[in-house]
Amino acid sequence: MSIRTQGRAAALIGVLVWFATVAAQDLLPTAGRRSASPLAVSGLGIDRGLRPGTALRSVGKPLSYARMRANARYLPGSLIVKFRSGTSQASRAALLATVDGRTAATVSNAPFDVVNLNDDADPEAVAQRLSAQPDVEYAQARYRVHPLFKPNDPLYSLQWNYPLIDMERAWDINPGASSSVIVAVLDSGMAYTNTAFDFTQTTAQNIDGVVFPALGAVHLTFAAAPDLGGPSRVVSPFDFIWGDNTPVDMDGHGTHVAGTIGQLTNNSTGVAGMAFNVKLMPVKVIEGFWDDYFESPFFGTDDTVARGIRYAVDNGAKILNMSIGREGPPAPVVRDALAYAVSKGAFVSIAGGNDFADGNPLPRYAELATQFDGVVSVGAVGRDRTRATYSGTGSWLELMAPGGDVARSGVPGMIVQQTYDFDFTDTFANGPTGFKAPRFDVFEYIYYEGTSMATAHVSGLAAMLYQQGITKPAAIEAALKRSATDLGPAGRDDQYGFGMINARAAVRGLGIIR
Amino acid sequence: MSGRMTKALAVSALLCAAAAYPSAAMAQQRPAPPASPRPGAARPAPRPQTAIRGFGDFGAERFAAGDTFDATLGSPTGIFFGGGVEVVLPQRWFISARLSHFQKSGERVFVDSGEVFPLGIDMKVGITPIEVSVGYRFQPRGSTSNVIPYVGGGIGWHRYSETSDFADTGEDVSETFQGYHVLGGAEFRMGRIFAIAGEGQWTTIPNAFEDVASSAADAFGESNLGGIAFRVRFVIGR
Repeated sequence: MSIRTQGRAAALIGVLVWFATVAAQDLLPTAGRRSASPLAVSGLGIDRGLRPGTALRSVGKPLSYARMRANARYLPGSLIVKFRSGTSQASRAALLATVDGRTAATVSNAPFDVVNLNDDADPEAVAQRLSAQPDVEYAQARYRVHPLFKPNDPLYSLQWNYPLIDMERAWDINPGASSSVIVAVLDSGMAYTNTAFDFTQTTAQNIDGVVFPALGAVHLTFAAAPDLGGPSRVVSPFDFIWGDNTPVDMDGHGTHVAGTIGQLTNNSTGVAGMAFNVKLMPVKVIEGFWDDYFESPFFGTDDTVARGIRYAVDNGAKILNMSIGREGPPAPVVRDALAYAVSKGAFVSIAGGNDFADGNPLPRYAELATQFDGVVSVGAVGRDRTRATYSGTGSWLELMAPGGDVARSGVPGMIVQQTYDFDFTDTFANGPTGFKAPRFDVFEYIYYEGTSMATAHVSGLAAMLYQQGITKPAAIEAALKRSATDLGPAGRDDQYGFGMINARAAVRGLGIIR
Repeated sequence: MSGRMTKALAVSALLCAAAAYPSAAMAQQRPAPPASPRPGAARPAPRPQTAIRGFGDFGAERFAAGDTFDATLGSPTGIFFGGGVEVVLPQRWFISARLSHFQKSGERVFVDSGEVFPLGIDMKVGITPIEVSVGYRFQPRGSTSNVIPYVGGGIGWHRYSETSDFADTGEDVSETFQGYHVLGGAEFRMGRIFAIAGEGQWTTIPNAFEDVASSAADAFGESNLGGIAFRVRFVIGR
């Protein structure tokens, strides 16, 4: 074979390699990844009802998150062009012909043209070329506009805690996770259903040194918190305090915490929650005053908590919120349960304790968080982004989140959510005076503060990350820490851990450079 | 074949043709050789002349930040299309200027301990290097070989752009980084004014991805935007 022939053969091989590599670039890398993306699952429901007498409106597909993503930053195959006045139709047509463009049908209120291009044309590049032409005033791709999500819940303006962690811009990217994610709330129960229980207490009860009179037989009504969504939001509820599957809240704490995690949002009612599309799993593992008064058969102890953790994991919860804790000796039974949770792919957030001013005791559950990648301990900041005066500190502290601080910012500086109206539940607040049977069917938007509230923020954000594709507990913890806003001394410290969660930075993830 | 590729081909061909034209014109103006050399006399070697050539090329680059590109764009390798002009001096030195482009879509990710979690947020990355090279062609005077090895090196300015869905002001990236490269290859002459070359290039663009915690490059500990490229070059000109 002559050198010339060899050269031609080399050229032919080169061209073939070229086609193969280009085809591989176009076909291989992203198709599988895209189809694997867990984001393309949720959609907003639309009312398809047609009222008599109204004209049928032409509507597009529902503006689901998946559809927005599919269309990316701008619509393919078209762009916007505004020609300078006086440019003839012939000149316009000639210009558009240079980019294989065709003017689309005239649209109203548009002193510009919408130009159709070939589907494979890059509208940004074409717009740049057209913009350089003297007859063109401007040309641009048809960039998609997405809502800067701000919930329409009327009391949302009271929720300083969400803007503090850049939650609104996080919702733009990930609007509240999806119902495929189950968040277990290991707490005092949850106001998730309408029901009633009969209790009988025939003897006076000494609770925390105060003697309360016997109420006899009482019929207590329970209602679902209106802004929480009722039983349809709930999966696999269980009550480890009364030993049944109706973990109604007889305190209000669990309902408040659940609200921050997943309160219905953008429903023109009340307040907003973080991951407002998730399913909630109420797992009652601690008792309140009324559970004690009516002598529940079980108590909120380490073994109860450990069982609750295992129950939640075994029933599909991927995020566990533990706005609970205790001081004192170690809790190996809880440690084992946490290890089980992480091994089963569940992420756990644990409150860091509210007793800084009372000697800053070591919170035993929160301390365990440092032993596992996938379990985090959470402290609280006030609306001024400084550590709440009550929030515990120590080497075990990992993350901070808004928990409120009434001492520095007054009541508006606390965390507001819907829960029971204390006037109807805390009849014990003044001791035996005025003591009467409670009602668990009257709700109000109430301010709480504490690392419990902070922990709920972390769980809500973790649920969003899980839904978005970070499905390993250790990776969720790493994402939360990496995206956190560093507070206090640079780097990790005992006052603020790795810093305050930054929801937007967390859900936006990492680019190549930025 | 995508439209983008078709256009890249067309542009490359135009570049080649445009750059090659002066060379062909010069060739026509050369004085004609003696009509009948004396029998037995040695044939004088053609006098080396400065040649201006055009070229188009395509090839694949294995990025130095391969893990980062693999995580976000689905491959540690990118396909570049390019073209440029080259001046070959009589002493066999050459100077070339080359413009190339790479563009690919992917998605933002989170990286933990090397494991990648795609987040479903579309991103688009483009790299447009402008490179100037100086080198030497190993073609002994009087040689009639059709294979001409060459080596060179130079400097480049690499325009890097990165855009993402949901990006706010200042979050997209459009920066130019300076890099350096060495290259080598072999050119196969396939006719009077046409040649094809196979070429390898090593490029370093140090510290392009530096100290940004919200970057996959940082997560992988990679900071160099360069890489190793292999390409096929089509040359028009003597």
